Amino acid sequence: MAYPYRHDKEVRILSEHFGDPEARTLEGWQKRGGYVALKKALGMSPEDIITEVKASGLRGRGGAGFPTGVKWSFLKNDGLPHYLLINADESEPGAFKDRELCRWTPHQLIEGSLIAAHAIRAQHVYLYIRGEFFEPAQVIGRAIEEAYTAGFAGKDVMGSGLTIDVTLHLGAGAYICGEETALMNSLEGRRGQPRIKPPFPAVYGAFGQPTNINNVETLCVVPHIINNGGAWYRQWGTEKSPGTKLFNMSGHLVRRGNFELPLGFPLKELIYDVCGGIRNGRSLKAVIPGGSSVPILSADEIDINLDYESVAAAGTMLGTASVMVMDDQTNMVKQVRRMVDFYAHESCGQCTPCREGTEWLAKILRRIEDGMGVEGDLDLLLDLGRNMTGTTICVLSDSAAAPVASSIEKFKDDYLALIRRGASAAATA
Amino acid sequence: MSEATPLQGGNPGWAGERGEFEHLSEADIRGTSYYGSRSLAGENAGGVCAYPYQLLRKNPDAPLFEGPYAERFQKILSRYPDKQGALLPTLNLAQEVRGHLSPESMEHVAELLGLMPTYVRGVATFYTMYNKQPVGDFLIQVCTNVACNMCGADEVMESFLEHTSTEAGETTADGNFTVIEAECLGACGFPTAVQINERYFENVAPEDVPAILQQLRGEATR
Ligand SMILES: Cc1cc2nc3c(=O)[nH]c(=O)nc-3n(C[C@H](O)[C@H](O)[C@H](O)COP(=O)(O)O)c2cc1C
Ligand code: SF4
Ligand code: FES
Repeated sequence: MAYPYRHDKEVRILSEHFGDPEARTLEGWQKRGGYVALKKALGMSPEDIITEVKASGLRGRGGAGFPTGVKWSFLKNDGLPHYLLINADESEPGAFKDRELCRWTPHQLIEGSLIAAHAIRAQHVYLYIRGEFFEPAQVIGRAIEEAYTAGFAGKDVMGSGLTIDVTLHLGAGAYICGEETALMNSLEGRRGQPRIKPPFPAVYGAFGQPTNINNVETLCVVPHIINNGGAWYRQWGTEKSPGTKLFNMSGHLVRRGNFELPLGFPLKELIYDVCGGIRNGRSLKAVIPGGSSVPILSADEIDINLDYESVAAAGTMLGTASVMVMDDQTNMVKQVRRMVDFYAHESCGQCTPCREGTEWLAKILRRIEDGMGVEGDLDLLLDLGRNMTGTTICVLSDSAAAPVASSIEKFKDDYLALIRRGASAAATA
Repeated sequence: MSEATPLQGGNPGWAGERGEFEHLSEADIRGTSYYGSRSLAGENAGGVCAYPYQLLRKNPDAPLFEGPYAERFQKILSRYPDKQGALLPTLNLAQEVRGHLSPESMEHVAELLGLMPTYVRGVATFYTMYNKQPVGDFLIQVCTNVACNMCGADEVMESFLEHTSTEAGETTADGNFTVIEAECLGACGFPTAVQINERYFENVAPEDVPAILQQLRGEATR
């Protein structure tokens, strides 16, 4: 059951035990079939685990959708120390799935991580969780204690002879630390600034050693694939986007929260059936399908399926499947400005187009919002955005430009109304 | 015009919209019924030593890294291949006892880890959760990012400021409250999300604010 509502159309693999406090404990988790997959995986070779995960077609749930098994195979059997990093930095506006996974099913995450660590020959797992998540961190911390006490983590994991340490590491409030190389810098006690790639993490990652990094949700899927096989996972979703996904639903919906659905689920059905439609009898204005970093869809563009390919074909991205729904009363310019304020605040400042561009976008948007804009501002915004796209170390800069460009394209009248109202107010003053 | 779609009633202060999980207690949802109390020394080195408590009473002159904190610091050190890796958790410990990171605290941490004080300051200032100034016993962080904003977060922020009679970032005269705006807290389905020290308060509407402040005053030490 997903939290805090459930729906018949859900396929609950990861979220089956959400809202069930007993499932948090090691004993409760084992009663629900936990740690059977770890035992099985420890009897498999790293190559066999990777083959199974490749067969499942599992793609990374952190936003980019990179095939997980392929990513794991980049780490070689080279005798060097390897690290597995768990990305629980979840800070993308709209995203709130990893928090639920951490606070309801900590052992699911630890089990998946231990399996992944074995597959990539890592001796140490760092769980990088955003500093604000005190409550989930305490739940996870306790679960790690339990795993050590039971002999599932640390030295000689389940009698296999393998050592896999698991360490909880709290961030300290910086969205950019969710970017994989920024996360590595932050873990090493540096400012959380992304690194130039190459070298890629699989060659030179945390503490200069080969490293793999995965999102919380990605790792939570792993025990289920080991238990049931890669082919089993493919019974849901599409050929290229197999399996289920947590859809984090926010905004003006009757039912908000997490819903676990097969990839490829129709967006319209998600909004109007699963989430019960728009609150307060209003109508739909816009949908942001993948967290604040992706282009916005207008109400007449929602006839799409939610798999990576279909969403991309509609000109936006599935990202973290964090769907933000806006009703007809929404002040679009204000909301886009608020998103851009966020990126301006979170830019790490290394790249000029990002550091300066986000500030300028925010300033111009605020000017329009305050009725001081001119029509030429829209071209200025688009031009700025183009110069911020594909010109920087990481894609935060692109992410700031995307909602601006798509909102100007699709909600130009909202901008023009504010600009013209401002102009006529000035004329009569 | 207000964009708020506030929840009507039913919010016991910490969460209004619990859907089909109304039967769960606050302790169940927060997880406190599971992890219970923790020792200052932090128990296992992998798990709970690394995360800070948010102590209500903060003493800006408290000694650093003594007693259980010395033990906890050693556990933290044991988890990283070099001392620099322990920087963020060590700063957390310093902030835990003192409530904020003064230049002296940062120097102390630098010395302990064999780093340059300027380096430590450069890192600490990068992260928003390190308080560079003392804050109230309760640091109230109201998410005003987009998913909360479109459901009325600005009004919630205003309500907190009004009922504490402060400006953003200012501490009340009794030292109880500091209210600031926060970026997305990762609880977007429960607007407006507010973080108060360790805890999240969810589905907060402007009219819930007096009850929340009342509850906190009851917990306050002064
Ligand atoms: C600015 C920025 C922020 C990101 N934030 C997160 C995050 O909070 N959590 C996450 O899992 N991935 C985040 N990512 C993606 C990670 O860089 C990385 O691709 C991901 O953790 C890989 O895991 P996966 O293969 O399991 O998806 C972010 C990327 C960028 C560019
Ligand atoms: S694009 Fe922005 S956030 Fe990313 S590295 Fe450059 S300045 Fe930093
Ligand atoms: S936008 Fe408020 S918690 Fe995410």
